[in-house]
Amino acid sequence: MATAIGIDLGTSNSCVAIARRGRVEVLENSYGEPISASVVHFGDDGTSLVGNQAKACAVQDPENTISAAKRLMGRYFFSEEVKKAKAVCSYKIVEGPNHSVRVKVREQALAVPEISALVLREMKEIADARLGQPVCQAVITVPAYFNDNQRQATRDAGRIAGLEVLRLLNEPTAAALAYGFGKGLAQRVAVYDLGGGTFDISILEIGSDVFEVLSTCGDTYLGGEDFDDRVIDLLAEEFQAQHQINLRKDRYALEKLKVAAESAKKALSADDETRIQIEGVAKTPEGAALSLERTLTRVEFAALVSDLIQRTFKVCDEALQQANLTVRDLDGVILVGGPTRLPLVREAVEQYFQREPKTDVDPDQVVAMGAAIHAAALVGEEQESRLLDVTPLSLRIGVAGGLAETIIERNTPVPIEQTSVFTTFKDFQQSVRIRVYQGESRRAEENELLGEFEFSGFKNARRGEVRIEVTFEIDTDGIVKVTARDPDTAQAASTQIHLSSGLSEEEIRGLIDKHHAPAAPSAAPGLETSGATLAAVASVAANPPALAGAPADPFDALNACAGEIEFDAEQLEAAANIPLEGPADSAFELDPAPLEIGAAAAPSGGGAGDAGEIELDGAGADDALDVLDEADLDSLAALSDDEAASAAEDPAPEATTQRRAAPAGGLFGSPDSDLSIFGDEDDEI
Amino acid sequence: MGAVAAQATTEIRALAQILDELDYYNVLEITPDASASEVRAAYHRATRRFHPDGHRQIGDDMRPVLGRIAKRVAEAYSVLRDPRRRQVYDQQIRGDSARVRMPLVQAEAEAERQSRDARLGKTPNGRRYFVLAQADVARGDKVAAERNLRTALTFEPDNGVFKDLLGQLRGKR
Repeated sequence: MATAIGIDLGTSNSCVAIARRGRVEVLENSYGEPISASVVHFGDDGTSLVGNQAKACAVQDPENTISAAKRLMGRYFFSEEVKKAKAVCSYKIVEGPNHSVRVKVREQALAVPEISALVLREMKEIADARLGQPVCQAVITVPAYFNDNQRQATRDAGRIAGLEVLRLLNEPTAAALAYGFGKGLAQRVAVYDLGGGTFDISILEIGSDVFEVLSTCGDTYLGGEDFDDRVIDLLAEEFQAQHQINLRKDRYALEKLKVAAESAKKALSADDETRIQIEGVAKTPEGAALSLERTLTRVEFAALVSDLIQRTFKVCDEALQQANLTVRDLDGVILVGGPTRLPLVREAVEQYFQREPKTDVDPDQVVAMGAAIHAAALVGEEQESRLLDVTPLSLRIGVAGGLAETIIERNTPVPIEQTSVFTTFKDFQQSVRIRVYQGESRRAEENELLGEFEFSGFKNARRGEVRIEVTFEIDTDGIVKVTARDPDTAQAASTQIHLSSGLSEEEIRGLIDKHHAPAAPSAAPGLETSGATLAAVASVAANPPALAGAPADPFDALNACAGEIEFDAEQLEAAANIPLEGPADSAFELDPAPLEIGAAAAPSGGGAGDAGEIELDGAGADDALDVLDEADLDSLAALSDDEAASAAEDPAPEATTQRRAAPAGGLFGSPDSDLSIFGDEDDEI
Repeated sequence: MGAVAAQATTEIRALAQILDELDYYNVLEITPDASASEVRAAYHRATRRFHPDGHRQIGDDMRPVLGRIAKRVAEAYSVLRDPRRRQVYDQQIRGDSARVRMPLVQAEAEAERQSRDARLGKTPNGRRYFVLAQADVARGDKVAAERNLRTALTFEPDNGVFKDLLGQLRGKR
């Protein structure tokens, strides 16, 4: 019988569990520990060590000890998160191909999924040993707020570790499953999941055999490790003031500070104060050893981290608002993640949710347990519960002017699919370029770029005569697929794209071989691709020259170069939320009037605006007047609170005036173009 | 097991064939007057039957077919669970067009527009006098405000927002 495990791949710690014969069991490592540090140490003999023993190597050998790799998963090298990580990491983070991240260890540049794969393989081996048989199927959990790039990277890591990844499951959903499975509950709960590196909040409705996520929000760079950093900062600053020595500059001293900070944090869960003592943390210029000694009280610690805790509640506000609920509508709060053991966090959570949080499940193990229950259900070993999840981030497509229009809103249930129709922008255009983003900003550059691809092979025709159907799909793992097809050609040239994940299919296969892991049969259904698809993937891989050609900020280059999509008035209305008043029935076109994509590069030296021409149809003039009218009304109507809020979202009259004046400055190609799509003044770059 | 699976496959195939003719209510097997909790229950019921997690053993040829249904179920729920979107959708299917699907973004934008209309007025004159009335209120001129609101209501007798404001003014006097 197939055996499938659940793995919680955490930033700081990982955990593996199995559900069988109606029981869920956390599998302990060979040292009898239920959780293992997500740390990999690379020895000078070419071997690697994973877990708590690896973590212990950090003080002696910080350069070759990789912790918190999850924070780098699926990130671009130029991202803020990677910059932050570089500032606090003791190991070397370098740039790989296509702006990916590599970790340099002992002259080797390792991809981030490769490091996570070593952690996953350790978890698999723990299970193999405990179960006495090799395990090859797993459900792996990810933060609910992970974007597609991060999910793809996690899936890749699973494959490299030799696992068939049955599902990527959102951590809070897994926790809710572990909490509610088999209890026949009918409750609405919040899962407050503060992990080592990420924060998630999910609101779920738990029924007898259905777990429906109503909303989810998060912050993928907020966790217990940030608490430690605050303590490290305090210690380092005080030491510098006293001895004029910057401990942060010394990798060894920094590791010692990290260990001290983490243990102080843990001690403050039980005690009101704790003694921090690091012998020989530095030397004076004369060579005398200096020690660091200090008492940290719970009150001091609270002052250091209270803003971080408050940040989580801002996210909670958002999640509740998205679910159209208030804290009063909830039946319970489930705590997940090690940092939720801190009394400080518990008290704050209790105060926010106005109820005592549930603590009957171990916050470090509950996620792995939920993953195990679902894994067993997927292979038919356990009674099935339906997990109805949502997409955490809005899916967007890049359009003219550096904007990104929503195609699928966040918190839409998955799996989901939406199709939009586009057309060409120039006569006899050969190809179109489509850029896909995830995020909540209308400005393309403020969202995560998932990938861009070029679509060609449609019929050779005049502008506007080609119909290109672009289908955006999000599967149950939260992974995005984009398909373009020409419904008119007999061949119906169809191209399926898996967006960039940092590693190409070829690289993944290479890594699977390298690590001698037996390739799992049908490793990932989503990644099994036909020849045509592989070709498309290859073309995406070959495409990033657009990215690579941008030394400073790739997004500048992206915005300046091709791929502008044109909306017509009706589409604008739908997409930009600007109500144009047209004929009453016009808003109900199901088949959106064609969007236009122009693939030709912008004239050299041109800004984003030069490429962004928008054409309005005949109704344009009337619509334009109406926009102005609405905007004026907004400003007048902004007398009541409600209207003030609405005015804030809508174009202010001055902005309208400016936009109308803009064409004179040549900012936009067509005199009408600025009216509709550029909803906010600051969209103008 | 085999017989059950075969029956499920037949059901999925049959549903997939007519999927594009079904409106969202048909997809969830509910009537257009279903309550919010009935919509949710119907969604749960449909996912029990069509969620890909429940059909891991299904043949590779059937996987995309099942996926299509699962995605349509989620789409139907996304529209019908939101009262504003649902209202927009109801208008669409009651209209003479035979369109049974609605792009989510369009549903949202239209819902947004309608709720704005409700606040500001649907007609130019309704809007104009409502805005004037609001300005009167801000100045403290309740008599003028009431007069302008009554005028606004002659253009849009059913506008609840206009009526509420008028009610408030009368209450204050």
